[in-house]
Amino acid sequence: MNDDFVRTESLTKVFYDESRGEVMAANAVDIACAAGEILGLLGANGAGKTTTLRMLSTVLRPTSGNAWVMGHEVRDAPERVRENLGFYSASTALYPKITPRETLRFFATVNRYPASKVEARVDDLIRRFRLEAYADTRVERLSSGMKQKVSIARTVAHDPPVLIFDEPTVALDVLNAIELRQIIAELRAEGKAILFSTHIMSEAEKLCDRIAILHGGRILATGTLNELREGTGLHYLEDIFVHFAGVRDEAEAEVRNVMPGPHA
Amino acid sequence: MDLRQIWTLYRHEVRSALRDRSIVVMSIVIPLVMYPLLLWAAFAGISFIQGQADRLTARVVVLGLPDAHRSLVDSLVAGEAMALTPWSGTPEEADEAVARGRLDAVLHVEDPVPAGAGVDENFALRLSVSTAHGRSERAGARIEAVVAAYRERWIDQVRPELGLDDPAWAGFAVIREDVATPEESTRFFLAIVVPMLTLIMVALASFYPAIDATAGERERSTWETLMTVAAPRGNVAAAKYMYVATFGAVGGLLNVAALVLSLRWILTPVAGPGEVAAGGLPLATLPLIAVGTFLLGLFVAAGMLVFAVFARNFKEGQSAITPFYMVIILPAIFLQSPDLVLTERLALVPVVNVVLLLRAAIQGSVPLVAGGITLVSMAVTVAFAVMFAQWVMRREDVLLGSAGGGLGRFLRNRFQARRSDA
Repeated sequence: MNDDFVRTESLTKVFYDESRGEVMAANAVDIACAAGEILGLLGANGAGKTTTLRMLSTVLRPTSGNAWVMGHEVRDAPERVRENLGFYSASTALYPKITPRETLRFFATVNRYPASKVEARVDDLIRRFRLEAYADTRVERLSSGMKQKVSIARTVAHDPPVLIFDEPTVALDVLNAIELRQIIAELRAEGKAILFSTHIMSEAEKLCDRIAILHGGRILATGTLNELREGTGLHYLEDIFVHFAGVRDEAEAEVRNVMPGPHA
Repeated sequence: MDLRQIWTLYRHEVRSALRDRSIVVMSIVIPLVMYPLLLWAAFAGISFIQGQADRLTARVVVLGLPDAHRSLVDSLVAGEAMALTPWSGTPEEADEAVARGRLDAVLHVEDPVPAGAGVDENFALRLSVSTAHGRSERAGARIEAVVAAYRERWIDQVRPELGLDDPAWAGFAVIREDVATPEESTRFFLAIVVPMLTLIMVALASFYPAIDATAGERERSTWETLMTVAAPRGNVAAAKYMYVATFGAVGGLLNVAALVLSLRWILTPVAGPGEVAAGGLPLATLPLIAVGTFLLGLFVAAGMLVFAVFARNFKEGQSAITPFYMVIILPAIFLQSPDLVLTERLALVPVVNVVLLLRAAIQGSVPLVAGGITLVSMAVTVAFAVMFAQWVMRREDVLLGSAGGGLGRFLRNRFQARRSDA
C-alpha cells in the first residue's frame, strides 16, 4: 500500500447538461494526501473542487480514472471508502429533530464504529467539542456556532483516518471560521489526512501543508507554499493563483484563435 | 445486506419523523381521531338541530273535521309540541299561509270518500305542508304519525261492526320485517366503508413520510450527509422504504381501530342498544384485515417513494406524489357498489383485490382461492415495486437530485440512452 491515505489517478468527471452538452467538471485530476497532512484544493467557483471531493467521497462515480482512500478503490469498494472518511461541507447539514448525542451515536453506528465502544466515543466527542450543555437539546434549537461544532463532531464520529472539508468556512462568521481552522489543525496533529477545499487564499496560506491549484477542472500546480513561491517568483498566494489561472486562460485563448470552434 | 445497519438507518428515520409534528399529525393523529371527532361532531350537530326544532311549536290548522272525530284534535294537541291555530279564511288562503311560512301545516278534511267505503263517518285527509320550510316538514311528519295512530285506533273500533275478525283482518296486514341481525347490518355498512377509508388512510399516512424521506432530506440539506455514510445505497433505500411503509401501514391500522371504537362508543348510544353491533368487526377477520392493510402499506410506500425521489423540495414532492395518490384511491371510490365481489380475475388486480378482500373478510365470506390469489398477487406486485424503487433510488442523477422532471422523464432518458448505446 502506498503511504498516501488518499490518491487519485487521472480522476475525471463528465456531466451532461442539456444546454451546454458534455461538461468536464474534473479533468484527469492527480492528487495525493498523506497522514498528518492538510492538502488544500484552491480554486475559484466552478473549478472542480467539489466534484473532485464528491468523487473521493463516492457521492459521484468517476467517468474515468480512479481514486483510493486507505487503499480502497472508490469505484469498487465505496462503502469501505466511506467507512474511512468523514465528509463535511456546507451541503451536509444535521438532522434538526434529533439531539447532538443522538446525532453522534447514529453516525458512529451507521459508519460501523465498534458497537461496544460507541457510547464511550460519543461521550468523548461531547467533552472534546464542549457540547455538554446542549448534548440533549434538539439540533434545530442550537445556534449556528453550536451546529458547526456538532457537524464537525459528526464528521469524525467514527474516527476516520481521512477527512474532507469542502469549503467549510463559506457560511461562517470570522470567529467561527477561526475556531474551525483550529479544530482542523488539531485533527492534523492526530495524524488525519485532510483535504481542504477553499477559494479563500488566506485560509489556504494559514492552514494547508500543500496546495493544489485547480482551474477549469484541471490541477495546474501542486506544492507547498514555498515551492509555489519559488516556482513562480511571486510571494502572495493570490498572485500565484492568478499567475497559473491566467496562464491557462491565455493558452486556451491561443488555441481558440488557431482553431476556431467549440472548446470544453 | 447488513441488517444492523438498516435497522440503525430505519430507527433514525422513524425517530426524526416521530418528532416532526406534521408527519405525526397526518400519519397518526388524523387516522386515530378523525372518526371519533367527525362522528361526534356530526351527531352533536344533528342532536342540536333536532333539539332546537323539537322546541318549536307547530302551527297547525284543521279545516272541516267532523264532530265524530274531535278526538283527533285532542290527539294532535296532546301528542307533541303542536298548537291549533284558529282560521277564518278560505282553505286556499290557509295553503298560501303554509307556503309563505306563516303556518306550518293545514289538515284538510276532504269530502267523504266515495260511496261503498263501507264505514260511516269515514273521511279522507289532505295534509298541506311546504318542503321549502324544515319546520313545516317536521310538523307534517308529526301530524302523519298522530293521524296514523288515530286511524289504527278508529279501525280497531269499527272493525267489529264490519264483521272482520282478527284473523281475517290479519290476513290483510303487511308486516315489514328486517331479517338481518344488527351485527349483519353493521358489517354490511363496515364492508362498504372500512376498505375505502383504509386505503385512503394508508395513502394519506404514507404521503408526508415519503416526501420527508426524499425531498425533505434535500430541502434540509441532509441528503448528502446521508449519502456519505458507510452504508450501501441499497441499505439507505431499504431503510427509507421501511420507514414510509411503517407509517402507511400503521396509519391504516389505526384508522380501522379508530373506526371500530368510534362505532362502539359513539354510534351505539345514539342509535340505541342493539342497532349497532359492538365493534362491528368479527375478531376472526382482524388478522386478514391487518395483512391486507400491511400489503397496501408496502405497495403504496414503494410507489410514493419512486415518485417523490425526484423532487428537490416539499412543494415538488407534493406535486410529484399527488397523481399517484389519486390513482391509488380511485379504486376505493369506484368500488362502492355492494354487488362487486372478489373474483379470481379481480384478485389479480393490485389494490382493487385487497379492497375487495377486506370487504369479503368483514362480511365473513372470504373466497379461499380468490383470497389466496390476492395475497400472492399483491406480494409479487409489492416485490416488483420495491425492486423498481431500489433501482431508481440508486441512480446517481436521482441521488444528486439532478435527474429533474420526474419519473416519466427519467425513464424516457434511460430508454433513449439504451437505444443510442445499442
